[in-house]
Amino acid sequence: MRLRWHHLALWAALVLGMLLLPYLVGNGTLRTMIFANYLAIFAISWDVLSGRTGYVSFGHPFLIGIGAYTTAILTKRFDVPVEISIPLAVVATMVGGLIVLLPALRIKGSYFALVTLAFMELMYQLVQVIRPDLTGGTRGMSGLPTLTRGAVNGFYLSTALMLAIAISMWLLMRTRLGIALAAIGMNEESVRGSGLSVTRLKTFAFITSAFIAGLGGAFYIHYLGSIAPRALFDINFLFTIIVAALIGGAGTVVGPLIGAFFLTFLLEFLRPYLPGAERYFVYGGMALLIYMYQPKGIIALFEAGLGRLGRSR
Amino acid sequence: MSVSLAVTGLVKRFGGLLATDDLSFRIDPGESVGLIGPNGAGKTTVFSQIMGEHRQTSGTIGLDGEEISGLSTSARIRRGVCRTYQVPRPFPDLTVAENVRVGQMPDSIWEMITRSGDRQREVELALSVGFAKGDLDRKPSELSMGNLRKLEMARTLATEPRLMLLDEVFAGLTAAEISVIAELVQSLRADGMTFLIVSHDLKALEPLIDRAIAIDRGAKVAEGPYLDVIKNPRVRASYLGTS
Repeated sequence: MRLRWHHLALWAALVLGMLLLPYLVGNGTLRTMIFANYLAIFAISWDVLSGRTGYVSFGHPFLIGIGAYTTAILTKRFDVPVEISIPLAVVATMVGGLIVLLPALRIKGSYFALVTLAFMELMYQLVQVIRPDLTGGTRGMSGLPTLTRGAVNGFYLSTALMLAIAISMWLLMRTRLGIALAAIGMNEESVRGSGLSVTRLKTFAFITSAFIAGLGGAFYIHYLGSIAPRALFDINFLFTIIVAALIGGAGTVVGPLIGAFFLTFLLEFLRPYLPGAERYFVYGGMALLIYMYQPKGIIALFEAGLGRLGRSR
Repeated sequence: MSVSLAVTGLVKRFGGLLATDDLSFRIDPGESVGLIGPNGAGKTTVFSQIMGEHRQTSGTIGLDGEEISGLSTSARIRRGVCRTYQVPRPFPDLTVAENVRVGQMPDSIWEMITRSGDRQREVELALSVGFAKGDLDRKPSELSMGNLRKLEMARTLATEPRLMLLDEVFAGLTAAEISVIAELVQSLRADGMTFLIVSHDLKALEPLIDRAIAIDRGAKVAEGPYLDVIKNPRVRASYLGTS
């Protein structure tokens, strides 16, 4: 693993910038940033699984939902403190990751994507039907304990969580493991033919992805203080995660992070002009444009720009 | 560094098709054997059974006297068997050096994370198959068929094999590229590597092997010195499609 000083400088600048942000912008922007942070966590989680190994998951809200519902039910119905319920939620989500892994042992491509979509749909139906006294049924739950008060604290907590996840994943994916996982996405048979146990690598990717999704999901609902199945298991939510990872640059960790901030602020910027669902139309078009111009995402545009700058000097 | 391979009574059925028909042969340490036969004779199927990509219907596969049929493909590779494919299968988004790196990786996630691997060995391997230093950062899409085969050789060599199964190593290569690959095989033979080689280019194959095994419809039809085998009337008939 080779670290370059300018990478570290960029991370340090990001950390510093985030620390100073509450002194520079209003609470409204901070609240938007909080959503961007959580979206970044979900996009990084999706990317560890789908961006790397090529197993495109259309059911990521399934994993996020396990984390969110576990801690919601434990705190609301059983008065379990969050210090215990969140770790339990993460463990439960990792088990969920193993469930998503099962079809990936046999099928790939669009078939895998469809099965994972079914997982999400199934969970949406199940939380409404089975034990609505626990899950809150169609209406979900509100009055959940929140971890922080006010936009500034919420911002710092979500930023710390997002940066901790992003930096550790970035470091992890710069090791040989990152190459091995990416190689699975390119040619699984050749990875096996190189003497590596593909199943073990996939298991690692799925569990790591689930770990992040569970952590993100649990903290997110303890920020919101409520959980609504219709918003959680929503196809728009799913697409926002995937599009954030794709337009930022899949398979890169930093790409999904950039993509999440770009998307959140794009939607926020459009809100006054297009209050309704038309906004999604604009962002869909935007995503399509970026994708057509540079399939490797915004991060590839940055890198190309930096490269040009470096050459001209 | 060499290894012996003993295949005994190998049978593989795909539904009604008998792809491997009671095939038995043995390769001694350091030996190089050619596996020949017409299209569809089942040569590649033999390879995939030795590698564990297909499980045989019956029969045994022994490596250094130890039965390996129960092992996964990756476990077999760690024991020192590896194969190349008719159509090279590089990792398209990785550079030449990174492709080789994947072959060099330990099968342990912990070691992948904590240890950075031997970069010098990676370069040595790439250079040993005939790449230039300037090729190391190139992507497979920029490589010729000959270079793709070299890349596949380098990546499989990185797994530190003792027995190499080469499937149609000369297919799609120019005469110059054939001689590069042939030289590489010869130098590996000199180092004691054991080989089982499939090739339709019999002329290029002949100097690389100590003896040949001919199969047709999954069954062995002849075995022995190369010239004896190709002169065998049953082998000739199988190539010409008469019986």
